Amino acid sequence: MMTASNSWMVSWWEGFGLSSDVPQWVFALLALLFTYCFVVVPAGAALSFLDRKFSADLQARVGPNQAGPAGLFQPIADLLKLLQKGSLTKRPQKASENIWLSVHSMALYSTLAVMPLGSAALLVDTEMSAFLPFWSALVLALGTMLLGLGQNSVPGWFGGIRIAAQTLAGSFPALIALICVGVHAGSFRWSALAGAQGFSPWSWALFSNPFLTIAFLVFIMSGMIVMASAPFDGGLALTDIHGGVASHLYGRRLGYYRFGRFYVFFLWSVITVVLFLGGWALPGRLVSLLREGEAVRVLSFLELSWLMAKTFLLMLFMIWVARVNPRSRVDQITDFAWKVLSPFSLFALVGTSLWVGWGIGWGAPW
Amino acid sequence: MIGSGLNSQTFFKTDLTTWEIGPYHSSLPGPMRLKLKLDGEIVVKCEVETGFLHRGLEKASELHGWPSLVVYADHLDPEVAVFGELVTCLAVEEISGITAPPRAQVIRLLLAELARISGHLAFMVRMAKAVGSETVTHYVLRDREKILDLFELVTGARFSLNFLRFGGVRSDVTDGFIERVLEVCELIRVRMKEYNDIFTFNYSFLQRSSGVAPISKDCVRFCGMSGPNARAAGVAFDVRKDAPYLGYSNLDFIAPLGRGEGGVLGDVHDRFLIRLREINESMEILKQVVERIPDGPFLHAPVGNDYKVPAGEAYVRIESSRGLLGCHVVSDGKLKPGRVQYRVPSLANLMAVPLITPGVRVEDLPVVLASLDLGIAEADR
Amino acid sequence: MVRESVFRGIGIYIRNVFLGVWSIAGSCFTAVPYLFRLGELRKEVTEGYPDPVSSKTADDLPPRSRGLLFNDIDRCSGCRDCEKICPAQCIKIDCEPGSEASKVWVSVFDIDFSKCVFCGLCTEVCLPSSLVHTRQYEGAAYSLKDLVASFGRGQLTPEQRAKWAAMRKLSEDGEGVSL
Repeated sequence: MMTASNSWMVSWWEGFGLSSDVPQWVFALLALLFTYCFVVVPAGAALSFLDRKFSADLQARVGPNQAGPAGLFQPIADLLKLLQKGSLTKRPQKASENIWLSVHSMALYSTLAVMPLGSAALLVDTEMSAFLPFWSALVLALGTMLLGLGQNSVPGWFGGIRIAAQTLAGSFPALIALICVGVHAGSFRWSALAGAQGFSPWSWALFSNPFLTIAFLVFIMSGMIVMASAPFDGGLALTDIHGGVASHLYGRRLGYYRFGRFYVFFLWSVITVVLFLGGWALPGRLVSLLREGEAVRVLSFLELSWLMAKTFLLMLFMIWVARVNPRSRVDQITDFAWKVLSPFSLFALVGTSLWVGWGIGWGAPW
Repeated sequence: MIGSGLNSQTFFKTDLTTWEIGPYHSSLPGPMRLKLKLDGEIVVKCEVETGFLHRGLEKASELHGWPSLVVYADHLDPEVAVFGELVTCLAVEEISGITAPPRAQVIRLLLAELARISGHLAFMVRMAKAVGSETVTHYVLRDREKILDLFELVTGARFSLNFLRFGGVRSDVTDGFIERVLEVCELIRVRMKEYNDIFTFNYSFLQRSSGVAPISKDCVRFCGMSGPNARAAGVAFDVRKDAPYLGYSNLDFIAPLGRGEGGVLGDVHDRFLIRLREINESMEILKQVVERIPDGPFLHAPVGNDYKVPAGEAYVRIESSRGLLGCHVVSDGKLKPGRVQYRVPSLANLMAVPLITPGVRVEDLPVVLASLDLGIAEADR
Repeated sequence: MVRESVFRGIGIYIRNVFLGVWSIAGSCFTAVPYLFRLGELRKEVTEGYPDPVSSKTADDLPPRSRGLLFNDIDRCSGCRDCEKICPAQCIKIDCEPGSEASKVWVSVFDIDFSKCVFCGLCTEVCLPSSLVHTRQYEGAAYSLKDLVASFGRGQLTPEQRAKWAAMRKLSEDGEGVSL
C-alpha cells in the first residue's frame, strides 16, 4: 500500500489537492485521518442521536430533548460524561484488558483504509477488498470474547463464549452471501462491485435477480449475528448476565467499547449498501457532467452523502427490527445461522451462479 | 467406532460451575438469591434463598391499632395493594360479624379486578423485559398507567391505596369513575390486539417461551401453588369460583385453564397466555359489575382510634392476581390485633423454582422467573 | 420408531421459516404507526418534568390526591388522635394548657415526611379537620432534617406559662378575663 505507486491513490491526490511529490505514506495517513474524523466519528454521533430519537418515536416516548434544540447535542453530552468518568491510567491495569485494548484498536483502525466511501475515495481496491472488512468484524468479536473471558466472572465467560459461538456461526452465511454478489459482479473489487449497479433501484444487486434478494436478507441477518447487535445479542444480554462482557467497563473504556460496537455496525451497513443497494451510484448524467467539469471533490462529496443517506436508512431499519423483537437465545441464534441462513445462502449461491452462467437478465422494466 | 460406547455427555464431561445470582440482579423479580450449579449453560441445580425483603410485616401489624392494619396490609404486596387490604378487611369483618354494604362490596370488587388487570399488565412488562423486547415494555407500562390513574382518582393514591375499611370503603366513588372504568376497558381491549400482534404471536417470543420449564400437576400439588400458575398447569382451582366472596358467584366469567399451546402443558407460554386471558375475563367482570352497581351507604361505621374487634379468629382466602391469598386474624378483644398471618401465593410459587429450573438454560432463567410472577415483597413480608 | 418423510420435514422447515419471517415482519409493522403518531391512541405519553407547558402541576391531580400534609394550627385542638393512629408514628405533638381552660397551646406539631406513608388515616380522624392532605407532591430535600415539617406554635416561656396558669385559675373562679 505504501510502496507501489498504485493507481487508486491518484484520485485521493486529486481529492486532497496535493502534488504527487509528497511521500505516499503521508497520503495514506491523511486519508485515514480524513475518513476517521470526517466520516466515522460524525456518523457515530449522528447515529447515536438518531437511534435514541427513532427508538423513542417507536415506543411512544419523547427521547432526548434537553441538550440543545430537540436534544441535538445529546451525543456530545454523552461523550463528555464518558470522558470525565474514570481514567485509563489511574486504575491497576490488567493484562487481559491491555490485550483487549490492543485488539479492539486494531479492529477499529485497521479497516478504515478498506472502507468504500465513493468512486474516488477507495484507498485499497484490490481483488480481495470485499473480504477485508470481515477482518474487522472478526477481530472485534475476538476482542469482545477476550474482554469477556478476561473478566474472570461467570457472566463474563458466558458473554465471551456466546459472542465467539455466534460470530463463527454468522460468518459462514455472510461470506457465502458475499460470494453471491462477487459472482454477480464478476469481481470482489469495490469499484467493480459498485460499478455493476446503477442509480436506479432496478439496477441494484438486490433486485437484479431473486437469489441475490435472498443473499441480501441472509447478509443482513448474519451481519446482525456477527456484530452481536440486538435482537441477536445473547452475549451482551442485560437480563441474565447483566451486560456480559461489558459489565465491568465504565468511563472512557466503555466509550471506547461502545464506539467499537458502533464502528462494526457502521462498517457492515456501508458494505451492505455497496454490495446490494447500489453503493454510491449517482445518476449517470450527473456523474458525467461533474467529470467533464473536473469537479472530483464535488463528485466525491455527493457520492459520499448519497452513500451515507442509504447507510443510515439501512441502520435505522436494523434498529427498528432490533427494538421491536425479543432477544433470541444464543443456541437459537447459532441454530438459525447454521440451519436456516447457511442453507439459504448456499441456495442463493447456486442460483446466482446458474443465473449468471445462463446469462439471464430481467432487463429494465421500462 | 471409537465413541461407540460413549455418548457426548460422558465424553465431554466438564466440571460444574457454581454461580450465585443476587440478592440484587436485573433478572430477579426482587431481592432474592439463586445458587446455581451449571453444566455449561444448562442449570443442573438451583437453590433459592429468600428473606432479603423481610420487614416483619405481621409483627408490625400487631404493634399498632386496628385502623393501621389496613395500611400495613397495603404493603404486603405493594404492586397490587388492593388484595392485601381486601383479605384483611374480609377477615376482620368475619370476626366482627359485619358485612360491608352492597355498594361497598361492588366498589371493592371493581378495585380488585382493576388491580388484577394492573398486576397482569405488570407481569407482561416483566416478561417483555426478560426476553428483551423494549418496545412492548413501554407500551404496556403506558396503559397500566391508566389503571393507576383510576386508583388515584378514586382513592387518592396510585399504589398504597388505604381505601378499604372494616365494614366498607373509606369514601364513595367519585363522579365519572364508572365511565372511566369502561373507557379504560375499551382502551385495553384495543391495545391487547396490538400487544398480540407485536409480542404474543412473535416467532422469537414463541421460541423463547414454548416448552420452557413446564410445571406439572404434581409440582403444583407438592408446592401448594395456586393462581394463574396452577391453572396454566391444568389445575382448575380459582377461589373466585370455588369459594366465592364479594358476590363473584353472581357474575358470569370463566377461569381460563392452560391449553398447552406451546407444546407442553404449563410451560412459560401457557403461563403467559393464561394471564392475557384473565385480563379479558377481568374486563368482562368489570363490564358486568358497573351496570349493576347498587345505591346505598358505603361504610358500616367509621373506624377510629378506639375501634375494637370482638375476641375471635377468622381465616379468609381470596384470589389475588398471583394466586390464593389467605389471611388469618386473631383478635383478643383489645385495641390491637392479637395475631395477623398471611398465606401468600408467591412463596409457594417460589418453591417451584428449584423444581422446574433444572435443564433450563441460563438465558431462560429470567424468563422462567418472570413467568412465575413472583412478588418478593409478598413472599418475604 | 417411524421415520418421518423427508418431504414432510422440509415442508415443516419451510413453513417455520415463513412463519418466523411473517410474524417478525408483522411485529415490526405494528410499531410503524407510532413512528408517525397516527391516531389519538399512538401519541407519545411521557412528559418532561420541569416543563411548564406540558408537565402536571398540583392542580391537575385528582381532588383526593394525598400529597404533603398541612396542619392549620389555629383550628388544631391538640387532641393527639392523629399521633395515636399514625401507623408510621411520624407525628410528634406536644401540648400545653392554653390561656383558657378550653384552649390548648400546641407547642410542637412535627410531621416527619421521611417516615410518612401518606396513608391518610390522620386526616380521617382529625375532628376539627385542621390536618389535611394538600396536593403538593414536591417534597424532596437534601437531608432528613429538612423533611420534618413543623406546624407547632413553639415552646412557651416559663413566664408565659405561669401567667396563663394564673389566667386559667381566674377564669375557673368565674371572673371573665379579657386579654
